[in-house]
Amino acid sequence: MTKYLVGKVGDIPPGGKKIVDAGSRSVGVYNVQGRYYALRNLCPHQGAALCTGVTTAFVTSSGPGDFAYECEGEIVRCPWHQWEFDVKTGQMVVDPATRTIAYEVSVEKYDVSVDDEEYIYVHIR
Amino acid sequence: MESVAATQETPRRGRKRLSIIDCDIHMPTARDEVLSYLPRHYREQIDTFGMRLPTQGAMYLNGAKGGIMQDQSFPQDGKASSLLAYFQTEHLDKYNIEHAILTGLGDYAIQTTPDADYAAALCTAYNNYGIDHYLANDPRIKSSVMIPKQDPLLAAKEIDRVGSHPQIVQVISSNGAEKPYGHRFYYPIYEACVRHNLPFAVHVSMEGIGINNPPTGAGHVNHYIEYRMARTQIMMAHLASMIFEGVFDRFPTLQFVMIEAGMLWIAPYIWRMDQDWKALRSQTPWVKEPPSEYVRKHVKFTSQPIELPPDESLFLPLMKSMFAETNLLFASDYPHWDFDNPFKSFPKMDDGMWDRIFYRNAAELYGLPARRSETEGASA
Repeated sequence: MTKYLVGKVGDIPPGGKKIVDAGSRSVGVYNVQGRYYALRNLCPHQGAALCTGVTTAFVTSSGPGDFAYECEGEIVRCPWHQWEFDVKTGQMVVDPATRTIAYEVSVEKYDVSVDDEEYIYVHIR
Repeated sequence: MESVAATQETPRRGRKRLSIIDCDIHMPTARDEVLSYLPRHYREQIDTFGMRLPTQGAMYLNGAKGGIMQDQSFPQDGKASSLLAYFQTEHLDKYNIEHAILTGLGDYAIQTTPDADYAAALCTAYNNYGIDHYLANDPRIKSSVMIPKQDPLLAAKEIDRVGSHPQIVQVISSNGAEKPYGHRFYYPIYEACVRHNLPFAVHVSMEGIGINNPPTGAGHVNHYIEYRMARTQIMMAHLASMIFEGVFDRFPTLQFVMIEAGMLWIAPYIWRMDQDWKALRSQTPWVKEPPSEYVRKHVKFTSQPIELPPDESLFLPLMKSMFAETNLLFASDYPHWDFDNPFKSFPKMDDGMWDRIFYRNAAELYGLPARRSETEGASA
Protein backbone atom coordinates (compact mmCIF):
# COMPACT_ATOMS: atom_id res chain seq x y z
CA MET A 1 0.00 0.00 0.00
CA THR A 2 1.39 3.34 -1.03
CA LYS A 3 0.06 6.59 0.29
CA TYR A 4 -0.19 9.59 -2.04
CA LEU A 5 -0.78 13.14 -0.93
CA VAL A 6 -3.39 14.49 -3.34
CA GLY A 7 -4.42 17.80 -1.85
CA LYS A 8 -5.71 19.77 1.06
CA VAL A 9 -9.19 19.48 2.48
CA GLY A 10 -9.87 23.05 1.38
CA ASP A 11 -9.22 22.06 -2.26
CA ILE A 12 -12.29 19.84 -2.44
CA PRO A 13 -15.37 21.34 -0.79
CA PRO A 14 -18.51 19.24 -0.15
CA GLY A 15 -20.02 18.29 -3.50
CA GLY A 16 -16.67 18.91 -5.14
CA LYS A 17 -14.29 16.71 -7.07
CA LYS A 18 -10.64 16.84 -8.04
CA ILE A 19 -8.84 14.66 -10.56
CA VAL A 20 -5.30 13.95 -9.41
CA ASP A 21 -2.35 11.78 -10.29
CA ALA A 22 -1.46 9.25 -7.63
CA GLY A 23 1.62 7.38 -8.70
CA SER A 24 0.95 6.41 -12.30
CA ARG A 25 -2.82 6.45 -11.80
CA SER A 26 -5.35 9.12 -12.60
CA VAL A 27 -7.78 9.24 -9.68
CA GLY A 28 -10.95 11.22 -9.00
CA VAL A 29 -11.29 12.35 -5.40
CA TYR A 30 -14.83 13.25 -4.31
CA ASN A 31 -16.16 15.05 -1.27
CA VAL A 32 -19.64 13.74 -0.52
CA GLN A 33 -21.06 15.63 2.45
CA GLY A 34 -17.71 15.93 4.16
CA ARG A 35 -16.49 12.41 3.48
CA TYR A 36 -13.88 11.70 0.86
CA TYR A 37 -13.92 8.94 -1.75
CA ALA A 38 -11.49 8.09 -4.53
CA LEU A 39 -12.15 6.28 -7.80
CA ARG A 40 -9.83 5.21 -10.53
CA ASN A 41 -10.43 7.64 -13.39
CA LEU A 42 -11.11 4.88 -15.90
CA CYS A 43 -14.40 3.44 -17.02
CA PRO A 44 -14.31 -0.38 -17.10
CA HIS A 45 -16.59 -0.37 -20.15
CA GLN A 46 -14.58 1.24 -22.94
CA GLY A 47 -11.87 3.12 -21.15
CA ALA A 48 -13.14 6.71 -20.94
CA ALA A 49 -11.88 9.01 -18.18
CA LEU A 50 -14.79 8.20 -15.89
CA CYS A 51 -14.35 11.00 -13.37
CA THR A 52 -14.57 13.72 -16.03
CA GLY A 53 -18.25 12.82 -16.32
CA VAL A 54 -20.97 14.61 -14.40
CA THR A 55 -21.46 14.02 -10.70
CA THR A 56 -25.14 13.79 -9.98
CA ALA A 57 -27.92 11.90 -8.20
CA PHE A 58 -29.60 8.57 -8.85
CA VAL A 59 -32.95 9.16 -10.54
CA THR A 60 -35.82 6.96 -9.45
CA SER A 61 -39.48 6.87 -10.28
CA SER A 62 -42.85 5.45 -9.29
CA GLY A 63 -44.01 5.51 -12.92
CA PRO A 64 -43.84 7.40 -16.22
CA GLY A 65 -43.64 11.14 -15.78
CA ASP A 66 -42.45 10.92 -12.16
CA PHE A 67 -38.81 11.65 -11.36
CA ALA A 68 -37.22 11.52 -7.93
CA TYR A 69 -33.59 11.89 -6.85
CA GLU A 70 -31.62 9.80 -4.38
CA CYS A 71 -27.99 9.75 -3.33
CA GLU A 72 -27.33 13.32 -4.37
CA GLY A 73 -23.69 13.77 -5.40
CA GLU A 74 -22.92 10.06 -5.10
CA ILE A 75 -23.28 9.06 -8.74
CA VAL A 76 -20.79 9.68 -11.53
CA ARG A 77 -21.90 9.25 -15.13
CA CYS A 78 -19.24 8.28 -17.63
CA PRO A 79 -18.58 11.08 -20.15
CA TRP A 80 -19.05 8.72 -23.10
CA HIS A 81 -21.87 6.23 -22.56
CA GLN A 82 -23.35 7.70 -19.41
CA TRP A 83 -23.11 4.50 -17.37
CA GLU A 84 -23.76 5.33 -13.71
CA PHE A 85 -21.23 4.46 -11.00
CA ASP A 86 -21.44 4.76 -7.23
CA VAL A 87 -18.75 7.16 -6.05
CA LYS A 88 -18.53 5.33 -2.71
CA THR A 89 -17.83 1.87 -4.12
CA GLY A 90 -16.83 2.24 -7.77
CA GLN A 91 -19.63 -0.15 -8.70
CA MET A 92 -21.97 0.39 -11.60
CA VAL A 93 -25.37 0.97 -10.06
CA VAL A 94 -27.43 -1.42 -12.19
CA ASP A 95 -24.66 -4.01 -12.54
CA PRO A 96 -22.40 -3.98 -9.47
CA ALA A 97 -20.10 -6.61 -11.00
CA THR A 98 -18.96 -3.92 -13.43
CA ARG A 99 -16.75 -1.64 -11.43
CA THR A 100 -13.80 0.66 -11.35
CA ILE A 101 -11.38 0.62 -8.43
CA ALA A 102 -12.38 2.55 -5.31
CA TYR A 103 -9.35 3.54 -3.23
CA GLU A 104 -9.10 4.12 0.47
CA VAL A 105 -8.82 7.79 1.42
CA SER A 106 -7.55 9.26 4.65
CA VAL A 107 -7.52 12.80 5.97
CA GLU A 108 -4.51 13.58 8.11
CA LYS A 109 -3.06 16.51 9.97
CA TYR A 110 0.49 17.04 11.05
CA ASP A 111 0.92 18.12 14.64
CA VAL A 112 3.94 20.18 13.70
CA SER A 113 2.19 22.01 10.88
CA VAL A 114 2.09 25.76 11.25
CA ASP A 115 -1.14 26.10 9.29
CA ASP A 116 -4.41 24.45 10.18
CA GLU A 117 -4.80 22.42 6.99
CA GLU A 118 -5.70 18.80 6.81
CA TYR A 119 -4.27 16.73 3.97
CA ILE A 120 -6.02 14.15 1.82
CA TYR A 121 -4.22 10.91 1.02
CA VAL A 122 -5.22 8.21 -1.44
CA HIS A 123 -3.98 4.73 -0.64
CA ILE A 124 -3.11 2.57 -3.60
CA ARG A 125 -2.32 -1.08 -3.30
CA MET B 1 -9.65 -5.80 -10.79
CA GLU B 2 -6.05 -4.81 -11.10
CA SER B 3 -5.48 -6.98 -14.14
CA VAL B 4 -8.64 -5.80 -15.88
CA ALA B 5 -7.62 -2.21 -15.40
CA ALA B 6 -4.11 -2.91 -16.62
CA THR B 7 -5.26 -4.26 -19.98
CA GLN B 8 -7.63 -1.39 -20.55
CA GLU B 9 -4.96 1.17 -21.18
CA THR B 10 -3.09 -0.84 -23.77
CA PRO B 11 -4.37 -1.78 -27.22
CA ARG B 12 -4.19 -5.46 -27.94
CA ARG B 13 -0.64 -6.61 -28.38
CA GLY B 14 0.62 -6.70 -31.93
CA ARG B 15 -2.20 -4.53 -33.15
CA LYS B 16 -1.07 -1.34 -31.59
CA ARG B 17 0.78 -0.11 -34.63
CA LEU B 18 -1.74 -1.36 -37.18
CA SER B 19 -3.84 1.35 -38.71
CA ILE B 20 -7.59 0.98 -39.10
CA ILE B 21 -10.47 2.25 -41.21
CA ASP B 22 -13.29 3.90 -39.27
CA CYS B 23 -16.52 3.74 -41.27
CA ASP B 24 -18.85 6.09 -39.42
CA ILE B 25 -17.66 9.55 -38.43
CA HIS B 26 -19.67 12.70 -37.92
CA MET B 27 -17.51 15.76 -38.26
CA PRO B 28 -19.25 18.91 -37.08
CA THR B 29 -19.39 21.76 -39.56
CA ALA B 30 -18.70 25.47 -39.40
CA ARG B 31 -22.15 26.91 -40.02
CA ASP B 32 -21.27 30.20 -41.65
CA GLU B 33 -18.69 28.60 -43.90
CA VAL B 34 -21.26 26.05 -45.06
CA LEU B 35 -23.95 28.64 -45.63
CA SER B 36 -21.63 30.67 -47.83
CA TYR B 37 -22.03 27.88 -50.41
CA LEU B 38 -25.81 28.38 -50.64
CA PRO B 39 -27.51 30.47 -53.32
CA ARG B 40 -28.49 33.96 -52.14
CA HIS B 41 -32.18 33.10 -51.99
CA TYR B 42 -31.73 30.39 -49.37
CA ARG B 43 -29.04 32.30 -47.47
CA GLU B 44 -31.42 35.19 -47.03
CA GLN B 45 -34.25 32.89 -46.00
CA ILE B 46 -32.06 31.31 -43.33
CA ASP B 47 -30.89 34.72 -42.08
CA THR B 48 -34.47 35.86 -41.84
CA PHE B 49 -36.41 32.79 -40.78
CA GLY B 50 -33.96 30.12 -39.62
CA MET B 51 -32.97 26.73 -40.99
CA ARG B 52 -36.56 25.62 -41.74
CA LEU B 53 -35.83 21.98 -40.96
CA PRO B 54 -37.62 19.58 -38.60
CA THR B 55 -35.13 18.09 -36.16
CA GLN B 56 -34.76 14.77 -34.46
CA GLY B 57 -32.71 16.12 -31.58
CA ALA B 58 -35.47 18.32 -30.24
CA MET B 59 -38.02 15.50 -30.28
CA TYR B 60 -35.92 12.58 -29.04
CA LEU B 61 -33.17 13.27 -26.53
CA ASN B 62 -29.92 12.03 -27.94
CA GLY B 63 -27.52 10.96 -25.17
CA ALA B 64 -24.85 12.90 -23.28
CA LYS B 65 -24.53 16.54 -24.24
CA GLY B 66 -26.18 17.21 -27.59
CA GLY B 67 -25.41 13.64 -28.60
CA ILE B 68 -21.65 14.11 -28.29
CA MET B 69 -19.19 12.59 -25.81
CA GLN B 70 -18.89 15.05 -22.95
CA ASP B 71 -15.12 15.09 -23.12
CA GLN B 72 -15.07 16.22 -26.75
CA SER B 73 -15.02 19.98 -27.03
CA PHE B 74 -14.67 21.08 -30.62
CA PRO B 75 -13.40 24.65 -31.08
CA GLN B 76 -16.19 27.19 -31.27
CA ASP B 77 -14.45 29.82 -33.37
CA GLY B 78 -16.59 29.02 -36.41
CA LYS B 79 -13.65 27.89 -38.56
CA ALA B 80 -13.58 24.60 -40.40
CA SER B 81 -9.79 24.57 -40.07
CA SER B 82 -10.06 24.52 -36.27
CA LEU B 83 -12.61 21.71 -36.38
CA LEU B 84 -10.33 19.74 -38.67
CA ALA B 85 -7.28 20.23 -36.45
CA TYR B 86 -9.22 19.04 -33.41
CA PHE B 87 -10.53 16.00 -35.27
CA GLN B 88 -7.05 15.09 -36.47
CA THR B 89 -5.60 15.14 -32.97
CA GLU B 90 -8.50 13.75 -31.00
CA HIS B 91 -9.48 10.97 -33.34
CA LEU B 92 -7.37 10.28 -36.44
CA ASP B 93 -3.98 10.38 -34.73
CA LYS B 94 -5.16 9.00 -31.41
CA TYR B 95 -6.50 5.78 -32.89
CA ASN B 96 -4.13 5.46 -35.87
CA ILE B 97 -6.89 5.82 -38.42
CA GLU B 98 -5.69 5.47 -41.98
CA HIS B 99 -9.01 6.19 -43.64
CA ALA B 100 -11.90 7.97 -41.96
CA ILE B 101 -15.24 7.68 -43.69
CA LEU B 102 -17.42 10.69 -42.98
CA THR B 103 -21.02 9.56 -43.18
CA GLY B 104 -22.20 12.77 -44.73
CA LEU B 105 -21.77 16.33 -43.56
CA GLY B 106 -24.47 18.46 -42.10
CA ASP B 107 -27.70 17.36 -40.59
CA TYR B 108 -29.68 14.43 -41.97
CA ALA B 109 -32.64 16.71 -41.27
CA ILE B 110 -32.02 17.86 -44.84
CA GLN B 111 -33.79 14.64 -45.80
CA THR B 112 -36.91 15.41 -43.77
CA THR B 113 -38.11 18.57 -45.44
CA PRO B 114 -40.77 18.50 -48.17
CA ASP B 115 -38.94 21.17 -50.20
CA ALA B 116 -36.68 19.01 -52.35
CA ASP B 117 -35.13 22.02 -54.10
CA TYR B 118 -34.02 23.45 -50.78
CA ALA B 119 -32.81 20.01 -49.68
CA ALA B 120 -30.79 19.72 -52.88
CA ALA B 121 -29.22 23.15 -52.38
CA LEU B 122 -28.25 22.24 -48.82
CA CYS B 123 -26.77 18.93 -49.94
CA THR B 124 -24.69 20.72 -52.56
CA ALA B 125 -23.51 23.24 -49.97
CA TYR B 126 -22.47 20.56 -47.48
CA ASN B 127 -20.82 18.40 -50.13
CA ASN B 128 -18.82 21.35 -51.46
CA TYR B 129 -17.88 22.51 -47.99
CA GLY B 130 -16.61 19.02 -47.17
CA ILE B 131 -14.54 18.78 -50.33
CA ASP B 132 -12.98 22.22 -49.90
CA HIS B 133 -12.40 22.24 -46.14
CA TYR B 134 -11.84 18.62 -45.13
CA LEU B 135 -11.06 16.36 -48.10
CA ALA B 136 -8.65 18.84 -49.67
CA ASN B 137 -6.72 19.19 -46.41
CA ASP B 138 -6.33 15.62 -45.20
CA PRO B 139 -6.05 12.62 -47.53
CA ARG B 140 -7.14 10.30 -44.69
CA ILE B 141 -10.62 11.77 -44.81
CA LYS B 142 -13.16 10.25 -47.21
CA SER B 143 -16.76 11.36 -47.44
CA SER B 144 -20.25 10.37 -48.50
CA VAL B 145 -22.51 12.24 -50.90
CA MET B 146 -25.43 13.84 -49.09
CA ILE B 147 -28.48 13.53 -51.34
CA PRO B 148 -31.96 15.03 -51.41
CA LYS B 149 -33.58 11.60 -51.26
CA GLN B 150 -37.00 13.29 -51.48
CA ASP B 151 -36.37 13.69 -55.20
CA PRO B 152 -34.32 10.82 -56.67
CA LEU B 153 -33.67 12.73 -59.92
CA LEU B 154 -32.14 15.64 -58.02
CA ALA B 155 -30.28 13.12 -55.88
CA ALA B 156 -28.82 11.47 -59.00
CA LYS B 157 -27.78 14.89 -60.29
CA GLU B 158 -25.83 15.55 -57.09
CA ILE B 159 -24.21 12.12 -57.27
CA ASP B 160 -23.15 12.83 -60.86
CA ARG B 161 -21.79 16.20 -59.81
CA VAL B 162 -19.43 15.01 -57.06
CA GLY B 163 -19.42 11.22 -57.34
CA SER B 164 -16.14 10.96 -59.22
CA HIS B 165 -14.14 12.85 -56.60
CA PRO B 166 -11.44 10.40 -55.46
CA GLN B 167 -12.23 10.92 -51.78
CA ILE B 168 -15.99 10.54 -52.19
CA VAL B 169 -16.59 6.88 -51.48
CA GLN B 170 -20.34 6.38 -51.06
CA VAL B 171 -23.81 7.87 -51.28
CA ILE B 172 -25.70 8.32 -48.05
CA SER B 173 -29.30 8.60 -46.98
CA SER B 174 -31.03 8.50 -43.62
CA ASN B 175 -33.01 5.54 -42.35
CA GLY B 176 -36.20 7.58 -41.99
CA ALA B 177 -37.98 7.38 -45.33
CA GLU B 178 -41.21 7.90 -47.23
CA LYS B 179 -40.97 4.50 -48.86
CA PRO B 180 -38.79 1.46 -48.18
CA TYR B 181 -35.55 1.71 -50.16
CA GLY B 182 -36.33 -1.22 -52.44
CA HIS B 183 -39.08 0.81 -54.09
CA ARG B 184 -38.57 1.63 -57.78
CA PHE B 185 -39.05 5.32 -56.90
CA TYR B 186 -35.39 5.27 -55.84
CA TYR B 187 -33.97 3.69 -59.01
CA PRO B 188 -32.41 6.94 -60.31
CA ILE B 189 -30.30 7.00 -57.14
CA TYR B 190 -29.10 3.43 -57.68
CA GLU B 191 -28.41 4.07 -61.36
CA ALA B 192 -26.17 6.95 -60.34
CA CYS B 193 -24.46 4.85 -57.65
CA VAL B 194 -23.69 2.19 -60.23
CA ARG B 195 -22.44 4.79 -62.75
CA HIS B 196 -19.89 6.00 -60.21
CA ASN B 197 -19.25 2.65 -58.56
CA LEU B 198 -20.37 4.01 -55.18
CA PRO B 199 -22.13 1.98 -52.49
CA PHE B 200 -25.54 3.18 -51.32
CA ALA B 201 -25.45 3.63 -47.55
CA VAL B 202 -28.33 4.10 -45.15
CA HIS B 203 -27.53 5.63 -41.78
CA VAL B 204 -29.99 5.51 -38.90
CA SER B 205 -31.60 8.87 -38.18
CA MET B 206 -34.66 10.99 -38.85
CA GLU B 207 -37.16 8.15 -38.49
CA GLY B 208 -40.60 9.70 -38.08
CA ILE B 209 -39.31 13.27 -38.53
CA GLY B 210 -40.72 15.68 -41.12
CA ILE B 211 -41.95 13.90 -44.24
CA ASN B 212 -40.63 10.52 -43.08
CA ASN B 213 -42.96 7.77 -41.89
CA PRO B 214 -43.46 7.15 -38.16
CA PRO B 215 -40.56 5.33 -36.52
CA THR B 216 -42.59 2.14 -36.05
CA GLY B 217 -45.53 0.58 -37.82
CA ALA B 218 -47.31 0.85 -34.47
CA GLY B 219 -46.83 4.61 -34.51
CA HIS B 220 -44.63 7.11 -32.75
CA VAL B 221 -42.64 6.17 -29.68
CA ASN B 222 -41.95 8.33 -26.68
CA HIS B 223 -38.46 7.85 -25.25
CA TYR B 224 -35.11 7.93 -26.97
CA ILE B 225 -34.36 4.33 -26.00
CA GLU B 226 -37.54 3.15 -27.76
CA TYR B 227 -36.58 5.26 -30.73
CA ARG B 228 -33.17 3.55 -30.90
CA MET B 229 -34.84 0.15 -30.79
CA ALA B 230 -37.22 1.19 -33.57
CA ARG B 231 -34.34 1.99 -35.90
CA THR B 232 -33.46 -1.67 -36.20
CA GLN B 233 -37.00 -2.54 -37.31
CA ILE B 234 -36.81 0.10 -39.99
CA MET B 235 -33.46 -1.13 -41.23
CA MET B 236 -34.97 -4.63 -41.38
CA ALA B 237 -37.78 -3.31 -43.54
CA HIS B 238 -35.34 -1.57 -45.91
CA LEU B 239 -33.20 -4.69 -46.23
CA ALA B 240 -36.14 -6.96 -47.05
CA SER B 241 -37.43 -4.34 -49.48
CA MET B 242 -34.09 -4.11 -51.29
CA ILE B 243 -33.89 -7.89 -51.66
CA PHE B 244 -37.50 -8.78 -52.48
CA GLU B 245 -38.25 -5.80 -54.73
CA GLY B 246 -35.33 -7.05 -56.77
CA VAL B 247 -32.95 -4.08 -56.47
CA PHE B 248 -29.89 -6.33 -56.51
CA ASP B 249 -31.18 -8.26 -59.51
CA ARG B 250 -31.67 -5.03 -61.40
CA PHE B 251 -28.39 -3.50 -60.19
CA PRO B 252 -26.06 -6.48 -59.83
CA THR B 253 -23.02 -4.39 -58.89
CA LEU B 254 -24.79 -2.29 -56.25
CA GLN B 255 -23.48 -2.49 -52.70
CA PHE B 256 -25.74 -1.54 -49.79
CA VAL B 257 -24.27 -0.43 -46.45
CA MET B 258 -26.31 -0.41 -43.25
CA ILE B 259 -24.80 2.08 -40.85
CA GLU B 260 -25.28 2.42 -37.09
CA ALA B 261 -28.11 -0.09 -36.86
CA GLY B 262 -26.06 -2.55 -34.81
CA MET B 263 -25.03 -5.93 -36.14
CA LEU B 264 -25.72 -9.24 -34.40
CA TRP B 265 -29.50 -9.02 -34.91
CA ILE B 266 -28.79 -9.48 -38.58
CA ALA B 267 -27.93 -13.17 -38.10
CA PRO B 268 -31.39 -14.47 -37.08
CA TYR B 269 -32.99 -12.02 -39.49
CA ILE B 270 -31.09 -13.62 -42.37
CA TRP B 271 -32.22 -17.07 -41.16
CA ARG B 272 -35.84 -15.90 -41.11
CA MET B 273 -35.61 -14.45 -44.63
CA ASP B 274 -34.13 -17.69 -45.98
CA GLN B 275 -36.78 -19.82 -44.30
CA ASP B 276 -39.66 -17.70 -45.56
CA TRP B 277 -38.17 -17.50 -49.05
CA LYS B 278 -38.34 -21.28 -49.29
CA ALA B 279 -42.09 -21.11 -48.75
CA LEU B 280 -42.89 -17.89 -50.59
CA ARG B 281 -40.35 -17.93 -53.41
CA SER B 282 -42.98 -18.22 -56.13
CA GLN B 283 -44.44 -14.82 -55.17
CA THR B 284 -41.16 -13.03 -55.97
CA PRO B 285 -39.66 -15.30 -58.61
CA TRP B 286 -37.16 -12.64 -59.75
CA VAL B 287 -35.34 -13.27 -56.47
CA LYS B 288 -33.09 -15.99 -57.80
CA GLU B 289 -31.07 -17.02 -54.76
CA PRO B 290 -31.71 -17.37 -51.04
CA PRO B 291 -31.84 -13.93 -49.37
CA SER B 292 -28.69 -14.79 -47.42
CA GLU B 293 -26.81 -14.89 -50.73
CA TYR B 294 -27.95 -11.36 -51.58
CA VAL B 295 -26.82 -10.26 -48.15
CA ARG B 296 -23.46 -11.96 -48.54
CA LYS B 297 -22.86 -10.46 -51.98
CA HIS B 298 -24.38 -7.00 -51.64
CA VAL B 299 -24.75 -5.87 -48.04
CA LYS B 300 -22.21 -4.52 -45.56
CA PHE B 301 -22.85 -3.64 -41.94
CA THR B 302 -21.05 -1.26 -39.62
CA SER B 303 -20.42 -2.46 -36.11
CA GLN B 304 -21.52 0.43 -33.93
CA PRO B 305 -23.50 0.37 -31.66
CA ILE B 306 -22.18 -3.12 -31.16
CA GLU B 307 -24.45 -5.40 -29.18
CA LEU B 308 -22.65 -8.03 -27.13
CA PRO B 309 -24.28 -11.21 -25.86
CA PRO B 310 -23.91 -11.72 -22.09
CA ASP B 311 -22.57 -15.18 -22.94
CA GLU B 312 -19.42 -14.44 -24.93
CA SER B 313 -19.44 -17.89 -26.53
CA LEU B 314 -22.43 -16.76 -28.61
CA PHE B 315 -20.46 -13.96 -30.18
CA LEU B 316 -18.39 -15.77 -32.81
CA PRO B 317 -21.22 -18.04 -34.05
CA LEU B 318 -23.41 -14.99 -34.60
CA MET B 319 -20.55 -13.18 -36.32
CA LYS B 320 -20.14 -16.14 -38.63
CA SER B 321 -23.86 -16.20 -39.35
CA MET B 322 -23.85 -12.59 -40.48
CA PHE B 323 -20.75 -13.05 -42.67
CA ALA B 324 -18.72 -10.74 -40.44
CA GLU B 325 -15.44 -11.90 -41.90
CA THR B 326 -16.29 -10.37 -45.27
CA ASN B 327 -19.23 -8.05 -44.59
CA LEU B 328 -18.64 -6.31 -41.26
CA LEU B 329 -16.94 -2.91 -41.07
CA PHE B 330 -15.65 -1.31 -37.90
CA ALA B 331 -17.25 2.01 -36.99
CA SER B 332 -16.72 4.22 -33.95
CA ASP B 333 -19.46 6.81 -34.57
CA TYR B 334 -17.07 9.51 -33.33
CA PRO B 335 -17.77 11.99 -31.77
CA HIS B 336 -21.18 10.74 -30.71
CA TRP B 337 -21.84 9.71 -27.13
CA ASP B 338 -22.31 6.01 -27.93
CA PHE B 339 -18.84 5.93 -29.51
CA ASP B 340 -17.22 2.49 -29.78
CA ASN B 341 -13.56 2.59 -28.86
CA PRO B 342 -11.55 0.78 -31.59
CA PHE B 343 -9.38 -0.92 -28.97
CA LYS B 344 -12.04 -1.94 -26.49
CA SER B 345 -15.42 -2.49 -28.06
CA PHE B 346 -14.94 -5.98 -29.53
CA PRO B 347 -14.35 -9.29 -27.75
CA LYS B 348 -11.22 -11.21 -28.68
CA MET B 349 -10.93 -12.38 -32.27
CA ASP B 350 -8.15 -14.00 -34.19
CA ASP B 351 -5.86 -11.61 -36.05
CA GLY B 352 -7.23 -12.52 -39.47
CA MET B 353 -10.79 -11.69 -38.51
CA TRP B 354 -9.68 -8.50 -36.77
CA ASP B 355 -7.79 -7.41 -39.86
CA ARG B 356 -10.83 -8.00 -42.09
CA ILE B 357 -13.21 -6.05 -39.85
CA PHE B 358 -10.88 -3.20 -38.96
CA TYR B 359 -9.34 -2.72 -42.39
CA ARG B 360 -9.72 -5.02 -45.35
CA ASN B 361 -13.48 -5.27 -45.70
CA ALA B 362 -13.76 -1.50 -45.85
CA ALA B 363 -10.73 -1.15 -48.13
CA GLU B 364 -12.31 -3.57 -50.61
CA LEU B 365 -15.75 -1.96 -50.42
CA TYR B 366 -14.52 1.59 -50.85
CA GLY B 367 -11.61 0.84 -53.18
CA LEU B 368 -8.98 2.06 -50.72
CA PRO B 369 -5.32 1.01 -50.80
CA ALA B 370 -3.61 -1.43 -48.44
CA ARG B 371 -2.13 -0.09 -45.24
CA ARG B 372 0.78 2.29 -45.80
CA SER B 373 2.84 0.24 -43.37
CA GLU B 374 2.24 -2.88 -45.47
CA THR B 375 3.11 -1.10 -48.70
CA GLU B 376 6.31 0.23 -47.14
CA GLY B 377 7.12 -3.22 -45.85
CA ALA B 378 6.72 -4.73 -49.29
CA SER B 379 8.97 -2.23 -51.01
CA ALA B 380 11.69 -2.33 -48.35
